[in-house]
Amino acid sequence: MLLAAALAPHPPLLFTELVGPPATLPEAVRSLLSGCTRAVEHLVACRPDTIVVVGAAEASRDYDPRGVLPVHRYGPAAPVGDGAAAKEGRAEDAGVLPLSLGMGSRLLDLAGWRGERRLVGLAADAPAAECAAAGREAVRAGRRVAVLAMGDGSARRGPKAPGYLDARAAEFDAGILTALSEADAEALLAVDPALARDLLAAGRPAWQALAGAAGGTGQGARAEILYADDPYGVHYTVALWTPLSESAPGPGA
Amino acid sequence: MSADGPASPARASAPRPAELKLRGATFGNDDLLTMAIVNRTPDSFYDRGATYAFGAALERVHQVVEEGADIVDIGGVKAAPGEEVGVAEELRRTVEFVAAVRQAHPRLAISVDTWRHEVGRAVCESGADLLNDPWGGWDPRLVEAAAECGAAIVCTHAGGLAPRTRPHRTGYTDLTADVLDGVMKLANRALEAGVDPASIIIDPAHDFAKNTHHSLEITRNLDRLVATGLPVLVSLSNKDFVGEALNVPLEERLTGTLAATAVAAWQGARIFRVHEAAQTRQTLDMVSAIRGTKAPALALRGLA
Repeated sequence: MLLAAALAPHPPLLFTELVGPPATLPEAVRSLLSGCTRAVEHLVACRPDTIVVVGAAEASRDYDPRGVLPVHRYGPAAPVGDGAAAKEGRAEDAGVLPLSLGMGSRLLDLAGWRGERRLVGLAADAPAAECAAAGREAVRAGRRVAVLAMGDGSARRGPKAPGYLDARAAEFDAGILTALSEADAEALLAVDPALARDLLAAGRPAWQALAGAAGGTGQGARAEILYADDPYGVHYTVALWTPLSESAPGPGA
Repeated sequence: MSADGPASPARASAPRPAELKLRGATFGNDDLLTMAIVNRTPDSFYDRGATYAFGAALERVHQVVEEGADIVDIGGVKAAPGEEVGVAEELRRTVEFVAAVRQAHPRLAISVDTWRHEVGRAVCESGADLLNDPWGGWDPRLVEAAAECGAAIVCTHAGGLAPRTRPHRTGYTDLTADVLDGVMKLANRALEAGVDPASIIIDPAHDFAKNTHHSLEITRNLDRLVATGLPVLVSLSNKDFVGEALNVPLEERLTGTLAATAVAAWQGARIFRVHEAAQTRQTLDMVSAIRGTKAPALALRGLA
């Protein structure tokens, strides 16, 4: 059963060691990280049996939770295999995680989650039905599950954005934000994968997995938006959905 | 075979050319060359239209020649995304200008910054000696144009990007191996197409599909590109990796650029694509003097 679900973005800058010393982190990075942390802490506080992280990956499959975080791909100066990986309970032979799942793992670590976690990858072109099914499957009856969906909106939001400007981006992201703020699973399932891909919106599979996970409660969910902005030309949303089902106790119950 | 990356015929079997040939101009292996940027664009990141007009651009060429530039690099299209510049417009901005530069400076090496074979062929007919392809062989016919015209070519690691696109979260399992693999594939293509082995240059392309960490790392590992035996060109000038390393805006990046220049030169890079030709010339001459390949201009102190 789903206790709560969160959506968080996964820009590499959230591996803040890549950006700079903590005291010099830009306010935009701090504020985004803070929103993500609050969402994940809420999931942890629900005391689930397992947290399922879901996000776009090279393939639709489970990834080893001991996998190495892909930090070194973006900042080679941080040495790999110097013992740091082992300290974090990770193993190099478990492979390097895709960015979405690696970032989800980082957020869980930051929130102090020591319980069971599962990392579910979805191919970037996985159809909506497959993503929704993955979300539903993650939330099996009889287990208390929290879902952390990892995905961003469009990277084509302006001339300085990584993907430059596509005039469709603003409306696209606004539509996603509305769906997230109304816990509208159907609207998320209707998002066009080709348009999302054109707009460099990495979150499409994750949104649809989230919709699948929450859609099963049958009684809707309460939605909260903890962050929604594009400080660097990519749209990031942090959202929290809490099912309204009476049989899902809230945190502290 | 070295452990650096996949074997490549150009590295394994070709001897290091005795000199660098840019059509008529030849340079020895100890020569450190400045390539002065002259952009016939209204919107490039640093000069922002200062040399868009024909007269202003020609003036700049005269000036950089005075400052000792060995090569001028003429560009008609800005690298970053923006207003579309088609083949016809690019030809308009470059061909006639190249002819004018050739006429004014018969012995100056002329490079043209283009990825398009139509432009490559036309500017070579006007007098260009080197085709500086910023997008790593995106147009596979450009290298044929270079070979047919007897021009030199730059083989650039653009990370597979389409022209004028910016990277989004480019990550590498092994950056240096990826760069080596990319440039050597292009170098082999150039050889096979008939480009003179002494006219093939490689460029890691700082900040192209590389974040600041990546650009610093490839600078740190430049010796591995130099070890291929092919002349290495670096384009460091005022780039964002300098700006982010030092937290300085565009107009304050010369010092960082020259520091990176000295490091790259010390490691063996040979061609430096720059905005500030005079200061770069001095930096390179200092490196040569330290290295011992160039005598100090004058030594009297302590010898009286």
